[in-house]
Amino acid sequence: MNKSLWYFAAAVTLAAAMMSCGGKGSQPSETAAPAANTAGKPVDSATAGTVTGSIKLDGTPPKPRNINMAAEPNCAKAHTTPVQTEDVVPGDGGTLQNVIVYLKGDFSQYSFPPATSPVTIDQKGCQYHPHVLALETGEPLSVVNSDQTTHNIHPVPKDNREWNESQPPGAQPIMQTFARPEVAIPVKCNVHPWMKAYIGVFNNPYFEVTGKDGSFTIKNVPPGTYTVTAWHEAYGTSDQMVTIGPSESKSVTITFKATSAASD
Amino acid sequence: MPDLPPQQDDPIVSRPLNGLILISAFLLLLTVAWSLYSEFFGLRPWRSYQNRFRSVYATYLQKQIAQRRAAEQTLYATPDYQKLEAAVKTAGNAALPADRQISEQIDLLDRQRAILTPPFQDGRGRVGALTYQLEQIPERDKSAKASKLKQLNDAKAVTYALNWPTANGTKLRQFNYDDLNNTFTAIMTEKAALVSKRGDQDKSAKDAQAALDTFVKERLPGLGSTDLQGLLNSVSGMDIKLKQINVNPPGTLINYVGGVGLVDRCQSCHVATDPLLVPAVMTLTRADLGVAQDNDAPFTSHPDPDLLKFHPQEKFGCSPCHGGNGRALDTVERAHGRYEHWLWPLYYAANYDAGCQQCHAADAITEHAPVLNRGKELFREKGCIGCHKFQGFDNQDDLLTATRQQITLLESDRKSDEDEIPRLNKLGDQASDNTVANNFYQQAQNLTVTIASMDSQEEQLELKSHDLLQEIKKVGPDLKEVRMKIHKEWIPYWLEHTHEWRPTTKMPQFRLQPDEVQAIAAFIWQSALTGPALPKQTPGNAMHGKELLESRGCLGCHSVGEGSNTMGGTFAANLSRVGEKDNYDYLVRWVHNPRERTRPYSPFEKRDLGPEDYAKHGMPFVFDLAHSRSPNDGHELVVQQPTVMPSLRLSIEDSRDIASYLIALKRPDAHFDPADFMDDPKLKDKGKALVQFYGCAGCHEIAGLEDEGRVGTELTNEGSKPIERLDFALFTEDAKRGIEPDGKKTTRGPWYDLKGFFEHKLANPAVYDIGKYKPNPLDRLRMPRPNVNGDDIDAITTMLLGSTDASLPPDYMYKPADDRAGIQKGWWIVTKYNCMGCHQIDIGQKSVLMGLPMYQGEDKINLPPVLTSEGARVNPEWLKNFLANPALSTTDLNRDGVRSYLQVRMPTFFFSDDEIRTLVLFFEALSHQAEPFIPQKVEPLSTTEAGMARALFTSTAAPCLKCHATGEPAHDKNATAPNFLLAKDRLRPAWTGRWITNPQLIIPGTAMPSGLFRRENDHWVFSGPIPENMRTYSGDHADLLVRYMFTLTPEEQRLLLGRTTTTTARGN
Repeated sequence: MNKSLWYFAAAVTLAAAMMSCGGKGSQPSETAAPAANTAGKPVDSATAGTVTGSIKLDGTPPKPRNINMAAEPNCAKAHTTPVQTEDVVPGDGGTLQNVIVYLKGDFSQYSFPPATSPVTIDQKGCQYHPHVLALETGEPLSVVNSDQTTHNIHPVPKDNREWNESQPPGAQPIMQTFARPEVAIPVKCNVHPWMKAYIGVFNNPYFEVTGKDGSFTIKNVPPGTYTVTAWHEAYGTSDQMVTIGPSESKSVTITFKATSAASD
Repeated sequence: MPDLPPQQDDPIVSRPLNGLILISAFLLLLTVAWSLYSEFFGLRPWRSYQNRFRSVYATYLQKQIAQRRAAEQTLYATPDYQKLEAAVKTAGNAALPADRQISEQIDLLDRQRAILTPPFQDGRGRVGALTYQLEQIPERDKSAKASKLKQLNDAKAVTYALNWPTANGTKLRQFNYDDLNNTFTAIMTEKAALVSKRGDQDKSAKDAQAALDTFVKERLPGLGSTDLQGLLNSVSGMDIKLKQINVNPPGTLINYVGGVGLVDRCQSCHVATDPLLVPAVMTLTRADLGVAQDNDAPFTSHPDPDLLKFHPQEKFGCSPCHGGNGRALDTVERAHGRYEHWLWPLYYAANYDAGCQQCHAADAITEHAPVLNRGKELFREKGCIGCHKFQGFDNQDDLLTATRQQITLLESDRKSDEDEIPRLNKLGDQASDNTVANNFYQQAQNLTVTIASMDSQEEQLELKSHDLLQEIKKVGPDLKEVRMKIHKEWIPYWLEHTHEWRPTTKMPQFRLQPDEVQAIAAFIWQSALTGPALPKQTPGNAMHGKELLESRGCLGCHSVGEGSNTMGGTFAANLSRVGEKDNYDYLVRWVHNPRERTRPYSPFEKRDLGPEDYAKHGMPFVFDLAHSRSPNDGHELVVQQPTVMPSLRLSIEDSRDIASYLIALKRPDAHFDPADFMDDPKLKDKGKALVQFYGCAGCHEIAGLEDEGRVGTELTNEGSKPIERLDFALFTEDAKRGIEPDGKKTTRGPWYDLKGFFEHKLANPAVYDIGKYKPNPLDRLRMPRPNVNGDDIDAITTMLLGSTDASLPPDYMYKPADDRAGIQKGWWIVTKYNCMGCHQIDIGQKSVLMGLPMYQGEDKINLPPVLTSEGARVNPEWLKNFLANPALSTTDLNRDGVRSYLQVRMPTFFFSDDEIRTLVLFFEALSHQAEPFIPQKVEPLSTTEAGMARALFTSTAAPCLKCHATGEPAHDKNATAPNFLLAKDRLRPAWTGRWITNPQLIIPGTAMPSGLFRRENDHWVFSGPIPENMRTYSGDHADLLVRYMFTLTPEEQRLLLGRTTTTTARGN
């Protein structure tokens, strides 16, 4: 009897120990939660730093090709010069445009105010403007049709919900959001197969798309070590580590090599 | 006075028993204590389970209630909620005065009726009786009639004075009978009107409440805190008692005990499976209860509540599906039936689906049972069916025999009927009177009609046997063709190193001695056909061949690449070493049309026919499905190779390109030893005997062995086999003690059961030969080692365990009589030809192609069509034609009839008519379509409507013709959707209407966008700028377009194409 009591006590202790271990292990990891900007403290702007830099392109970029818009006279009319593909668009001084630059790191302890002002993508002359854009999860995307033809906007995400809506000329903007981070969602118009855009979605505000000068500035970064990642539709991704001290500003240059892969 | 014996001699004194009695008393007391203890703790282990469940579940519920309450409070505080709640109050208050007034009116009516009813009933009785009496008096008795009539009128005239309730007090009122009657009817009518009015009054309040409920449900799904509290109350007040499911269907053997029905007490310990305690909307796991690590806490609720919806506990209990001894309660081992005296032990977790097979043996695909489905797939794919008969599986050979017998029988019946007719006629001629004569003539006539009906039956049987001949497929290739196809030296190597040379092969590894290998190879080689020789082929473009192989859809069944580089399906062979063994010329013919044979086989003459047979009759050596009769005797020939591989309708150039790519797939060091012995005629007979012994003809067509039967045991009821009939050989004792053949201890304990036998046999069929002295190889167990891994073994074991001789009542068997029968039958064809390699057919199912790298992201658009709504989408007449000829053309075969813009292409399967019928019914049944099909009428368009539809169709805002093919090559190069001209024959109008208004609902992710129309006043309106001539049209725009599509002619389409570029619609 005593013996079995002992066994029982031992079993209880063991079970309790196991349960407490299990409890710890099963806590949801916060980085995996899609809506990460609900918990945590705001970033202290007094100590926050900045990451700046530019994206370079090494080598000769592939020649852009002309797009034949004869199938859509409404759009062909809108252009006086031939429209060209946008898969590689060099910037000033050997830089590269349309690159999404973003920080990878642990932001789980911070909360960010929800982004509420809509980001617009315009369908104009049967092209997307901008060609590459980035926004936060839950941030409204406003799809505008400025053409005298019907488009359909069809993002083909891996991790987000897929949708495909038609938008006739003069229609109200379509408002949509993306719930989960993803780099980058291809967007297309099935009616005009040459139309192509990419949307990067992030659950923090640390991203930017390079413009004409190929530069980027990411502000209000809490001190810490991060991976600066540059994503380009033809060249893929390229990483660089950066450590930001309190109120520090650091510059990073990432270089893509012009390869034949882009001119398929 | 007699002498008293000395006191010490008195047995009471000298031999006292009090010590013994004391001990006995103690023993008795102990026994009572023991029995009481046993009663409460020992014999009823479920008591402690229930006690424990009650406490852990209560704790869990308390935590849930607290969380839920907090969430509810947060929600109640939101402005949205408060707005809705206020609306409920306002609506309720607004209705209140009117409600009260109506209630008062109804109340008054009720009081009036209460006063009215007694005199009305009294009067009605009196009047009724008098009326009856009046009717009974005969017409002629005029005076009596008159006096009765007077009585009746008097009765009607009697007045009743009633204290009539009114809105303010009562007042005296006089009623005669008619007044009573009319007032009563008026009260009833008025009350009904008021009740319905009150309902209308409440409608807005009810709507507001419904809106509030929906709002809460959307944000906080699952049980509310009140419901949870209710559960907590019932759990806290739960009696600790035996829980029993009792079903007594009359005269059945259910639950395995003779004829007394089903008694399952499983819920006594598995408390959480009681839906009263754990409702189906919540699934409870041990982790939820905080006892995840405890293996002795059977507190999980049923993990698949959906399954219980159509297998209700009150009919199915637990043990019919799970096995185990549903009545036993004393120990876990006994309740689970895992002891020697119980024949149906509880299925282990890996084999749960075995329970499904008991009733779903007739299904190729059973929903909710993926392991079982995989088992059946493997049973066919790995060629188990080649040796083991299994009812329901590909049994065309048996059916063919049966059909031929039926034909013979029918013919003999016909003959005897024919003989009978003249006899009857003669009897009629000689009859003595006309009635008898006519009787004989009638009988004779009936017989002639019967013969006519037999003729049509025979015609159908002939067609069926023709179909069956076409449907017989073999798992392995046709070995009559090996001399055409294969490098000679490779054959003996393959026989010895089957799994080593191609690790994913379907072919099992036979246990062969070197001399057996030589003899078998020699027989196969020498019995194979040597001609007519194949045409010589020029080399093709291998790069283009690779492109074709990767884009035409070959990878839906085949894979290329080895190891981790493997890409493609597992249904057919891995092609990565084809170049080491195949002849190029043969490969070209195979790729071009895999069904093409070197010679047709005559089952009647039992030999392969050649050009000489045809020449004798002055016929060309042409044999295919259209020329399938023997020139010698007219009997049906086997004109195709028995493979399920379809023809991709490639041009001969494309076939050469693919073959050139495949022939280059080989390892650089490939080498096989010369095999001259294969030409040694002395080996042939020995080889033939061995080929028969090992049952090679079960999977291969082999010359001279076309009619061989299956060599293995029938497995249809293998799960019911008594354990004594399975020979564990030298491992019987080890199995009972839980020791593996390699001497290690098993993880699950003893394996002396069906599961243990099957698993060990599948892993190594030779295992039960170990340790035995068998000098003659032919005495050894001959089952070859199947190429299966651990999961495969679980799947096949599951299937076999569930394949029992029905111990359940017949009405438990899943044999639906409605359209689900079509689904059941169709899955066998769908899985036979691997339709799911390319198509999504079942909701949620993924095809092989969907997983390949070239169909990811935006390239999904190049996938073959999704068929989840196919039956509702297409006209079944069209589908029949399409399945028979997917090119939809008799001349231009090198194309897809519907989606010419896709690289991947629907191949020609050469389905039999019966298979086509089954497939069409399958798709229709999946989409709930009525059969036989009656086409829906499409209202023709008026001239005005046609003009409007044309304008809409070509408006820049409706870019239909941008994506849909038109038949103009320049345009169709970039088309991504079918030609509208196909719609009339191909589609169903109702589906088309649903499709154009919301395609994303039917096929999420399709290229066709949603939002082209919007709903306005109960009909669809085009959402873009509306063409001038349609502005005043009040009809349904989507319907107009559908009708237009269904009446579209090629001329009209040409007209449209001319107009697309010129018409512009102004914005509205």
